[in-house]
Amino acid sequence: MSVPIDAEKDYYSVLGISPSATEEEIKHAYRGLARRYHPDSRTEKAPTTIFHGIQQAYAILSDKEQRRAYDRQRAEAGFGQDSALSWTIQLSQTQLSSQHEEQVVYLLIEIQPAAALGSQRLPLNLCLVIDRSTSMQGRRLEHVKQAAHQIIDELHDEDSLAVVTFSDQAEVVLPSSIRVNPIHAKSKVSSIIASGGTEILQGLQAGLQEIEKRHGQPVVNHVILLTDGQTYGDEPDCLAEARHAGARHIGISAMGIGEDWNDTLLDEIAQQSGGVSAYIASPGQVRSILQKRVRGLESVFAQGLTLELRQVEGVKVESVYRATPHLERIQLTNGQIPLGSLQADTVTKIAVELTVQQKAPGDHRLLQLELTGDIVAWKHQRERLRQNVGCTFVAGEPPPQPVPAAVLSILSKVTIFRMQERAWHSLDSGDLKTATRQLERVATRLFDLGEVQLARAAMLEAGRLSQGGAPTAKGRKELKYGTRSLTIASGRETYD
Amino acid sequence: MIECPSCGRKHRPGTLFCSECGVYLPTGGPLRTEPLPEEELPISRANPWASEPIGAAGEPALIPLRIKVVSTSREIQLPTTSEVHIGRTDAAHGIFPDIDLSPDGGLDGGVSRHHCKIHQRGSAYMVEDVGSANGTFLNGQRLTPYLPHVIKDKDKLQLGRVALEIIIHAQE
Repeated sequence: MSVPIDAEKDYYSVLGISPSATEEEIKHAYRGLARRYHPDSRTEKAPTTIFHGIQQAYAILSDKEQRRAYDRQRAEAGFGQDSALSWTIQLSQTQLSSQHEEQVVYLLIEIQPAAALGSQRLPLNLCLVIDRSTSMQGRRLEHVKQAAHQIIDELHDEDSLAVVTFSDQAEVVLPSSIRVNPIHAKSKVSSIIASGGTEILQGLQAGLQEIEKRHGQPVVNHVILLTDGQTYGDEPDCLAEARHAGARHIGISAMGIGEDWNDTLLDEIAQQSGGVSAYIASPGQVRSILQKRVRGLESVFAQGLTLELRQVEGVKVESVYRATPHLERIQLTNGQIPLGSLQADTVTKIAVELTVQQKAPGDHRLLQLELTGDIVAWKHQRERLRQNVGCTFVAGEPPPQPVPAAVLSILSKVTIFRMQERAWHSLDSGDLKTATRQLERVATRLFDLGEVQLARAAMLEAGRLSQGGAPTAKGRKELKYGTRSLTIASGRETYD
Repeated sequence: MIECPSCGRKHRPGTLFCSECGVYLPTGGPLRTEPLPEEELPISRANPWASEPIGAAGEPALIPLRIKVVSTSREIQLPTTSEVHIGRTDAAHGIFPDIDLSPDGGLDGGVSRHHCKIHQRGSAYMVEDVGSANGTFLNGQRLTPYLPHVIKDKDKLQLGRVALEIIIHAQE
């Protein structure tokens, strides 16, 4: 007998039991459910299809032969085996009152490699795309060159590196190759001279072409884009390239030096491709930030990670924020969240805000989660995790339940990040008064967290606004990139 | 609907943080210093560069400073440490300021746990807001956080809503 397998109809989840359940447990689960969902039941008015589902699941799982056959099919479909990925899912509340017309529930999803797997370093397929426009002249370009030299020195034999520069057009300074000769490569980098404009698209395309030379091999594909200026007119094309790269597991890390670059564009390029963006306030930081990025790439464990949220009726996903490596809002497309690559040394955290419509007392499912990703150490075998997230509705007020500390900690930071976003939004729409007040509130919350330096930056910007001045580009970037890093900053706890 | 105890914004049940002011809704107020409504606080800001020059020459040795809480008439002699922190004791979090304004209605008055500090520079006393939620006001003007200001005898200091008076003269 062949049964189509999907998570909706997985017999184990229909009966709400583990795949390792004993015969006794199966019987017990079936009896409880049958009593509740039987068409003649007085306690539950559920469609008879649910009861049929339960019956069918029991029929298969209670028969040793059929259960074994089913387990085999299940394993083939990607269920049931020990996964290389692991996750924990926590709700802000597991019991909800069925009195409210609409209520809010938060979900925290933490993804990390399964403990059993050791980390393994994959060869890097790296391309540096360096802005050499006139504004880079002097310290900026010098520090970028030094940073590139350091990357070259730290390459392993099996890594490949390409260096591309761009101004009004792109130029391949060092074509992609493995076993990079450090002396040759460094002299090539040293010969870069600043002049001309900033056309990011040109550089991006040339960089991606270099990456393609080794694409398909078991390597970590990554472009690191360094720029200090605005590109004009080619933003949509840059994003299209980023999306395309993301689909091919090529991450783009976009790093802005100084204050004059387009943070919206760089953030978007990074998000679309599954890379990261960074604000480099002073040229002196280029080296350490770049080194940290490359080290991160060396610990890539899974690529093309995607989280899918399947909603059930009466449940709406209000917002999704990624909390690590830094805070960012994620736009859902068809319920899918592209997460890029997963590093062995970090936990990827996702915070989801749901609104839930009124439901009758009883257990209800809120979401179905599915996580997929290619496991690097398993020759890019695609791994899949699925889980239903549900909660219990009770007739009166549920007993008070403490919100898990991990959920609170992330949400408090997401809240500040959003407050800051709103302040800039108010400012951009010309509402100076609101923007000032909102920035002052951001400052208050930052002080609460002990983030004195950031709080002072917020106070300074608020002060400028209240005196009719304009905010500075530096202050704005400092706050944005500072607050989004709250989730990784060492939490020096002080209390207001 | 649940209402934010700080800004009054309404939220759906289950919401944990106020989107407007960031307050943690389930506990709302206790222990935490919440922003006071703006209209209850003076608006003008002190100009940090307008202070008089510090430590004018020929000043005698420092005269001890006392602080009088206007509402309760409590007088507090400043300890002789180089830096004196004023705020609200929060034993649970190990916060013990040198001068605790809890008995003077500090919580309701919007005094932060770390509110301001007074220190000596040369022969002058300086007050510095340390990033309090509701601000420190010197003679009705809000101080910019972390910028020290000179204080003189009979100056009016206000922490959130709690009014203090500075007394710098030798006691009989």
